Parts: sequence; structure tokens; C-alpha cells
Amino acid sequence: MDDTGKFVLQIEGLKKSFGKYKVLTDVSYSLPKGEIAAIIGPNGAGKTTFFNLITGYHHVDGGTVHFLDRNITNWPRHRIARAGVSRAFQVSNIYPRLTTYENVRQAILAQKKRTLNIFTPAHRLARKNTLDLLELTGLLSHGDTLAGILSQGDKKKLELALALAGKPELLLLDEPTAGMSSEETHETMELVKRLNREIGLSILFTEHDISVIFGYARKLSVLYQGMVIAEGTPEGVRKNEEAQRCYLGEEV
Amino acid sequence: MDITSLFAQFLSGLTYGTILFLVAAGLSLIFGVMNILNFAHAALWLMGAYFSYTFWSWMQGYSFAFWLSIPLAGLAAAAVGWVMEVVLIKRIYKRELYEQLLITYCIALILSDTIKLTWGVTNKLIVRPEIIQKPVFIFGAPLDSYFLFVIASGAAVAIGLWWFLKYTRYGHIVKAAVYSREMVGALGIPIPRIDTWVFTLGIFLAGFAGGIQAPIGSITLGMDTAIIIQAFCVVVIGGFGSLLGTLVGSLIVGEVMSFTILFWPEGAMVLIFVITAAILIVRPWGLFGTPMRT
Amino acid sequence: MKNKYLFPVILFLLAVALPFIVPEFWVHVLTEILIMGLFAASFNMIFGYMGQLSFGHAAYYGVGAYTTGLLMVKANVPLLVCLPLSMLSAGLCAAVLGYFCVKLRGIYFAILTMAFGQLVYYIIFQWYSFTGGDNGLQGIVPPAFLGKAANPYYFFTLIVVTLGMIALWIISESPFGYTMRAIRDNAERTEFIGINVQRYMHLNFIIAAVFAGLAGALWGPFNRSVAPDLCSWQHSGMPVFMTVMGGPFNFLGPLIGSAIYTLLMAFVTSFTEYWPMVSGIVIIVVVLVMPGGLLGLLRDRLPFLRQNVGRAKETNG
Repeated sequence: MDDTGKFVLQIEGLKKSFGKYKVLTDVSYSLPKGEIAAIIGPNGAGKTTFFNLITGYHHVDGGTVHFLDRNITNWPRHRIARAGVSRAFQVSNIYPRLTTYENVRQAILAQKKRTLNIFTPAHRLARKNTLDLLELTGLLSHGDTLAGILSQGDKKKLELALALAGKPELLLLDEPTAGMSSEETHETMELVKRLNREIGLSILFTEHDISVIFGYARKLSVLYQGMVIAEGTPEGVRKNEEAQRCYLGEEV
Repeated sequence: MDITSLFAQFLSGLTYGTILFLVAAGLSLIFGVMNILNFAHAALWLMGAYFSYTFWSWMQGYSFAFWLSIPLAGLAAAAVGWVMEVVLIKRIYKRELYEQLLITYCIALILSDTIKLTWGVTNKLIVRPEIIQKPVFIFGAPLDSYFLFVIASGAAVAIGLWWFLKYTRYGHIVKAAVYSREMVGALGIPIPRIDTWVFTLGIFLAGFAGGIQAPIGSITLGMDTAIIIQAFCVVVIGGFGSLLGTLVGSLIVGEVMSFTILFWPEGAMVLIFVITAAILIVRPWGLFGTPMRT
Repeated sequence: MKNKYLFPVILFLLAVALPFIVPEFWVHVLTEILIMGLFAASFNMIFGYMGQLSFGHAAYYGVGAYTTGLLMVKANVPLLVCLPLSMLSAGLCAAVLGYFCVKLRGIYFAILTMAFGQLVYYIIFQWYSFTGGDNGLQGIVPPAFLGKAANPYYFFTLIVVTLGMIALWIISESPFGYTMRAIRDNAERTEFIGINVQRYMHLNFIIAAVFAGLAGALWGPFNRSVAPDLCSWQHSGMPVFMTVMGGPFNFLGPLIGSAIYTLLMAFVTSFTEYWPMVSGIVIIVVVLVMPGGLLGLLRDRLPFLRQNVGRAKETNG
């Protein structure tokens, strides 16, 4: 791999099956540094499984995952997160009995490796960073609200905040705008776009909303029956006949 | 050590294993279907033993008294179990794990004191009919002749349950409920009624086992606290909700106890817990269970 | 923020004043409340903060009690030296056994902790030559400077328990403590923010055992003896009872629970032997009608009880 330096994520021949069901048959994928890319595919195409394999949620059956210059295949989840791969989940995956502020602070303290500290009161630590991140994600006014009773859209924002707290170099977003109003969707995706432009964060997301995909992704891949069947610019993929037949033709 | 005494040891392990099976079968069934670990199971088992004593003393003089009091003990315990399910257990199926454990634990405390209040603190002894007072010899190894009946009852219960689960409609529902309660509910089968009857059946087995236990020695208060933990071990080793697992688990515990006592009497219980812990660590769902839904 | 220390300070002043007011019998009861309160608070590090139910926590309490008992009876080691050694031995036990426990969750965690608890129980029970078997160890007396009356040992206990509770409070409010709440709420997410969940749970298990060992160490000299029953699964049920009564989602809940439970027991056993039945009924009522325990019930009315420990019933997915 000569061009390792160019890519943040390189995946070769990824395979995964659950019992008899082959979810991913053979996926190869590369994401250039600083890219903002989307993956689409019908339900059950393996999008979430794809993310699950990259982040160590599931055990990889075959193939390799390279993050920057490291082979992270089958690393434990917390090590992958530490290495710089953050993830926001499709179904919001937060701490329901902690406040929004505490949720974010927890993720920031984890990133700063302060969580083994048993002496300092947590409320004295990382105050500024937490408030900044809450403001960035538009959650500042909900700081004292229990995360479990936030609205669906706010939960997704918190989900994004938790992922950003890890100071990632690669951000995986699984349907980041599901459950959001169109206004929230716009705000969130603008934030994602800004992060990409300003700090060069590499972003890979899945999405059902076609307008979001064509509005924000610079690279688009179509996952169908466990394989990448088309890849290119969104406009290029739109013209690809196979992609139309398999996905766009069916669902749009 | 000669073959005969080894065989005698095997028989004693088999008997103890059978008794454990009778206690644990209901425990495993209830856990499998309702996800409730019933701490009160052994208290109901002990209650069954006392019921059996009471029925036996009422019918004393009749030749069938001894035999009839055993299934009657099962029925009486089942009645208590039914009330318990309808009044209390029903309320906690959807509660958190610790609440379920605490409630059944508290029921165990209440039942133990109820036993003390009802039957007093003196030990109770059931006099056996003459035909089972002398030991029988199997390949030269002596065996308490009542134990033949114990082993036969255990086998009968195992076969009966197997037949019930395999060939009856209700058995199929119960088996399906072990895999997925939601699915059974979605098929339009009234889950609450199934729960009540499975619980009652499980407690019937506990009471029946108590009835079987009663004539073995004298019936004493506090017998239940030792056996409940061993029954948990059996269910863990065999796998929650698996009939075959419970059978194998009880035989393992019975035989391990029986043979360990030969050369390391102090270590028998220690060894049982080491085995249980090892199974939990390596294969939390037990030898014959299926990985659990959470 | 200032008045969140009001309630504990009132409790402490009350604890200082009471022995001068009540008869000696009740001073013994108060001592027991403190010891069991620390035991229950240590249990709650696993239960309320980490979200796992240990049904074998008495094992570490028992190991602490036996460490002090054996050292005092067989080697005449001073009590003040015994206390840290008890914490150490309980912690070492938990380091070994806890390593396996934290691989499991939910009911499996509960059963494995119970199995290990029974393992410790039977080892102590059967090892006559070393532990005295079911006779236990007798003749464990408080050091001479505390005299023979009830009050001095009570105040000694009060100091040790207060220090222990302060230590637990600091840990529970630290980033580590919040990581425990995070693991309780959502262990999976905690891995994805880069935390090795099993290792943290293991550490917390050891911390909880260390303080259970400290509580156990106080028991022997108080009771003048230790017995294997201190490790039994029934004894492991006590901190569960107390914590649920007082409120698992409040730092002082277990201590308050210990007070309710112990006072009720002292009161009820004075006129009936059916205490197990009474306690069973009381706890069923508590579980069914006030799932947050007493402090959970009061919290909404009394603002100084409000703490960010995590709430009982406000969850949804």
C-alpha cells in the first residue's frame, strides 16, 4: 500500500456473516483524508454492519481494516475509539440517567484519559471544553436536562456531541439526521460540513434522506447485498444504471 | 476401594441427584419461561414436605396414606404457588432484576416463618410402610429401598415433562415462550395465563419433590436454605430453561458430591461452587441452554 | 450547592450526640447501624453506581472480619494495624474473584458473585484448623485504650466509618465515579468513548470489596467474635435490603437503609421471633410502593437531598 498516507480508512475484502446469513460478502473501500462521504443502500444491505466492523462492535470474519497507517482489524472497541475513530449511532445511544452536560463531560474526560482519577470532583474538570462542545452542537440550553428525556432530535445531537468529544480523525455517522426536523437536519449537516472544512475531519455517513446525501456528500458508495456495487461522485452514481436498478430505482 | 462400594457411592449420588432434579426442574422451567429466579422455590419444597407429613398423619392407618400424601403435597404447594403468582409475582415480571430477586427472596423468608408458625419447631418424621423399611441389594451394594421409588419418581417426572413439552399443545407454547415471549404473545396466546400455569406447575414439582423428600429423614426447619443454592448450581450448570440440562446438572452435582465425600469430605461443596463458577465464566448459558436474550 | 453537605453534617452531629442520650443497648444498635451502613454503602458502589447486583458481597465483608479476627486472636496485632490489612485482604480476594465476575452482566453477575460468596463461605466453614470452622473465632476484644464500655468503641467506629464514607463519597463524585454511572447507564457506549469497561468494573469491584473489608474488620471487636455466617448468601442479602430501603440512587441511601433496617430489627425482635417474616413483608411493600427507597421518596420534597447520583425511574431508551 504505497498510498497509505492519502487515506484515513482503507478496507480490503471485508467479510461478515451471522450464522447462515452473509451480510457482507466482500467489501473493499477507501476514504481519502479530509473527505466527506456517504454510503447508501436499501435496508439490510449491511450499512450498520459495515460500521460495526470498523468500530470493533462485531468480530471481523475476513479482510482487513486500516485506519491511517494502522491495522485496526478486530481491535477491542475502546482501543479503536482511542485511536481516533468516533461513532454516532443510528438509534441514539446515550446515558439516559445523566444530564446532557454530564454525558458530554464523560466523553471528554474519557478522551483526556482522566477517568481513572478518583480524587478530584468531576464537576471541577473539563468545564470549558464541555460548555464549548454543548454550544457547538446546539445543546447549551439543555445542559441540565436528563439525557433520557431529551427530544429525539436533541438525543441525536447529543449522540454527535459524544462522538466529537473523542477528538476523532474519522467520524462515522449512522443516519445522523433520523428523527430530526428539517430545520435540525439542516443545522446538523451544516455543522458536520463546517467541521470537515475547518479542521479537516474525515466523515463517513449513511443516510436515507436523498437531499442530505446529494447536498453534503462529495463521494457516494452504494452497498447492495453485501457488496459495493457503485462508487463515485453523487452525480456519477445517480447516472450509474446498476445503482439505479438496485437501489435508486426501488426506493426513490 | 472395591467395585461394590464404588457402586454404592454411585447409587447414593444418583439418589441425591434425583432429589436435586425434582427441586431444580420447576426452578428451571419458571426461569426459562418467565425469567424469574425464584428464591422461594426451596421454601415451597420444604412446605411440600410438611404438607406431606400433615396429609400422612390425617390418613394414618390407611395403607395408601404414605403414597397418596406425596402427590397431595404437590397439589397443596401448587395452590400456594398459584396464589403467590396471582397476588405478587404477576406484578414483577416487568420490574428490574433486583426487584424480582428481592421479592422472591422475601417470599422465601415469609414462607419459612409461615412453616415455623404452622408446624412448629419440632422435627417431623413420617413412618414408612414395611415394604420399604429394609435395604435392597443391587450387585451387592445396599440401597435404601425407598430410594428405588425416589429414582423411579425422578425418572417419571423427567419423562412426563419431556412428553409434555414435546407432544402437547401447552408444552409447545411453553417451549416457544422460553425462546421468545414476545413471539408467543404476538401469536395471540394469552401470556399472563401461561405464566400463571407454568408457575403453578413449577411449584407443583417443588411440592411433589418435598413430598418425596419427606420420608427420607426427618423434616426440619432450615433444610431449604442449603438446597436452594445447590438447585441454583444445578440450573446454572445445565442451563436455564433446559430440561435435559437440569437432569444432567443434577446428576453431575449429585455424583460429584457423593464421590468427593470419599476422599475429601470438606471439599465437596467447595468443588460444586468451583464447577458452577467455571461454567458461568466459560458458558454462562450452561451446558444445554441457549445464549439468553437480555 | 453549599447545602448539599447540610444533611450529612446533621447526621454526623446526631451520631455524636445520641450515645450520651440513649441507654447502652441502643449504643450497640447504633454501632451496628454504622458498620452495616458502611458495608451497604460499599455494596452500593457496585449496585447503585455500576448497575450490577452482587449477591456475594458478604464474602469480602467476611474476609475482612476474619483477617482482623485471626490477626488479633492468633498474633495479637493491634486493631489499628488490622484495619488496613483487612482492607488489603478483601481487596486481594476481589482482585481474583472480581476478575471473572465483571465478565458477566445482570443475572449471571448476580449468580456468579453468589457462587463465589458461597465458595468463600464453605472454605471458611470447613477449614477448622485455621478459621475454627462453624465455631468461629472467639475472644476478639477491642484494644485496651477503648475500655470495656459501649461508648468508646462506638466513637471509634464512628470515626472509621465517617472516614470510609468520605472516601467513598470522593470516589463516587470523581471522574471514576461518573464513569461507573456511565457504565451503569450504557456500558456499550462507554466502550465507544474509549474506556475499557471490564477493567474499570474490575477496579470498582475491588474498591467496593476494600470498604466491605473495612466494615467487616470493625465487626469482630464489636461482637467479640466472628462466624462463617458473616460470609453466607443470607448475609449478602442484608446490604441489598438496606440499600433498597434507603434508596440506591442516593449516596447516603444505604446508610439510612441500615438505620431503618437495624432499628426495625432491634425493635421487632424484642417482642417476636418472626423477624424474617416482618422484614420480608416490609421489603415487599418498599419494592412495590416506593422503588426509589425512603430517600427517593423524600428527595422531591426536600431539595437538600438532591444529588446527581442518577435517578430511579426517569429512564427511557
